[in-house]
Amino acid sequence: MRRRSGNPGSVFPGIALVGGLLAAPLFLPLYHVNLLTEVIVFALYAVSYNLLLGYAGLLSFGHAMFFGTGAYVTAVALAHLPGLSVGSAILLSVAAATLAGVVTGALLLRHKGSYFALLTLAFNALFYAVATKWHSVTGGDDGLSVNRPNLDFLGVHLDLSDITTFYYFALITVGALIGYCWHFTHTAMGRTVLLVRENEERMKFLGYDTNISRLLLFTFTGALAGCAGSYYALFFEFTSISAISIEMTTTVLLMTFIGGTGSFLGPVLGALVYTLLHDKLSDITDRWPLIMGLIFIVMVLYVPGGLSGLIVSIRERLAGTAGKNAAQPLEGRKP
Amino acid sequence: MKDNGRILEVRDLYKDFSGLEVLAGVSFQVAQGERHAVIGPNGAGKTTLFNVITGKYKPSGGSILFQGRDITGRPPHQLCRMKISRSFQITNAFQELTVFENVRSGVRCLHGLRYHFFRRVDRDVAVNRRTEELLHLVGLGSVADAPVSTLSYGQQRALEIALTLSTDPELILLDEPTAGMTREETAEAIQLIDRVTRGKTLIIIEHDMDVVFSLADRISVLHYGRILASDRPHVIRDDQRVKDAYLGEG
Ligand SMILES: Nc1ncnc2c1ncn2[C@@H]1O[C@H](COP(=O)(O)OP(=O)(O)O)[C@@H](O)[C@H]1O
Ligand SMILES: [Mg+2]
Repeated sequence: MRRRSGNPGSVFPGIALVGGLLAAPLFLPLYHVNLLTEVIVFALYAVSYNLLLGYAGLLSFGHAMFFGTGAYVTAVALAHLPGLSVGSAILLSVAAATLAGVVTGALLLRHKGSYFALLTLAFNALFYAVATKWHSVTGGDDGLSVNRPNLDFLGVHLDLSDITTFYYFALITVGALIGYCWHFTHTAMGRTVLLVRENEERMKFLGYDTNISRLLLFTFTGALAGCAGSYYALFFEFTSISAISIEMTTTVLLMTFIGGTGSFLGPVLGALVYTLLHDKLSDITDRWPLIMGLIFIVMVLYVPGGLSGLIVSIRERLAGTAGKNAAQPLEGRKP
Repeated sequence: MKDNGRILEVRDLYKDFSGLEVLAGVSFQVAQGERHAVIGPNGAGKTTLFNVITGKYKPSGGSILFQGRDITGRPPHQLCRMKISRSFQITNAFQELTVFENVRSGVRCLHGLRYHFFRRVDRDVAVNRRTEELLHLVGLGSVADAPVSTLSYGQQRALEIALTLSTDPELILLDEPTAGMTREETAEAIQLIDRVTRGKTLIIIEHDMDVVFSLADRISVLHYGRILASDRPHVIRDDQRVKDAYLGEG
């Protein structure tokens, strides 16, 4: 069939990326392998946010409530359920974030545009308040330390306390999830979400219940963020109040904007750049959030398509094919 | 056309927009398989009537029966699945997406490919085939891969019809499908509409009286939110009130 929306130009960098990531521990020092693990965890978080913002056009300031829920559920479950496996802890987090997504989504999605955005902020503040006050469970401001259990699965035994082993564990499982997210953007649901963003009224008249599709997507991205939060807790072996704070929402916003909402891999790039910058800057100065903020302002003002948008336009200019992409199926939000 | 039962019955329909009464007790009936034209001056409430029938707005009063069932106030997506479909006076498409994906989105909805989290939209043979068919039917086969925003005005109007047909409706409501077209374009468009709506029930809002009198089995005249007359074309043509209110003007 001639009707394939997969764009070969975007598959090759994907393969190169996967190859490079698999080989990374062979040539990178442990410190950087660890940093890369952090990038992978944040990449999932950013991809989930971009499905919401870039594909569905829903601006949420509350994504950290799901991320934080995932992080706390993993920490609490591992502390209170002896013998709980890593996989079960992650699944519990996903289940909790899914539940949180359905409930908050049902309340939030009745409102549109800026009301929706403000309400997500309010809900995030509510989640944050619960996490601070519910000291007996969450440890309040002290946080919770997490015991990363070893992996015993189908006869495979992995010592996840080893940096490289945990890297591969995260790379393969999170990588598979991100791969699924890529597939998702081509599925019926993925396209439905994008079409609703483009013209909700027409979608209704074509037989789609757009409230259902929005709620499904909101819940789905919440579940993905919860999963990322679970990995975050496992990675740092600690869950603190910052995991569910507004700053964690700002973090994902920054990553997504730095990378660009116009393409699928943009936010992955954003997660990489953000994490590396953060690592370097926080070594140099305590004022790193200030610099991040400046970068954010510059990106929004001068590079609205993010780094991925920049790469695409440079590539087009070099190849002299500007405008040739016009007929290509729309992906995330165009700058 | 034989009268083989009513497909649509509108009873005493009211609609007001914060005090402005646009529909003031509209009643008319449409028989199965009929081609029914709705005429009336600009601002008479024709589009509003379509909007209320197809669920965009809830009526302030009255009721709508489709195949004997009360459908008053149901949302558009449910009415669509009950096989009611409408076009828009101003093309209402997905401007940045390809013509193919535009039409496919209606077709795949019909095939139950709406919220599926695993199945790709572009690999369903039946959906693709039906989409191609529809595009050829309305003469858009050659621009299938072009974004809608690059189409000519006439092509956009053809797309509007393809979108309306994509959900395989029994009752088709077309809101001024030929507005802004030249006489030749209008003649072509009407031929197309005649062809693609065969065997279905059609309600069409149209200003060209030649078209109306040649195409329609029945005509309803809407005037200030009321039905002035609803009858066969020759009766409408000779109706003095209609002449005074509308036909005489032109
Ligand atoms: N959503 C709306 N809000 C307020 N007034 C409306 C709305 N839709 C239509 N109207 C008013 O209703 C009247 C009839 O409009 P319309 O149904 O579009 O007429 P027609 O299609 O017969 O030209 C107009 O005066 C128009 O301004
Ligand atoms: Mg009108």
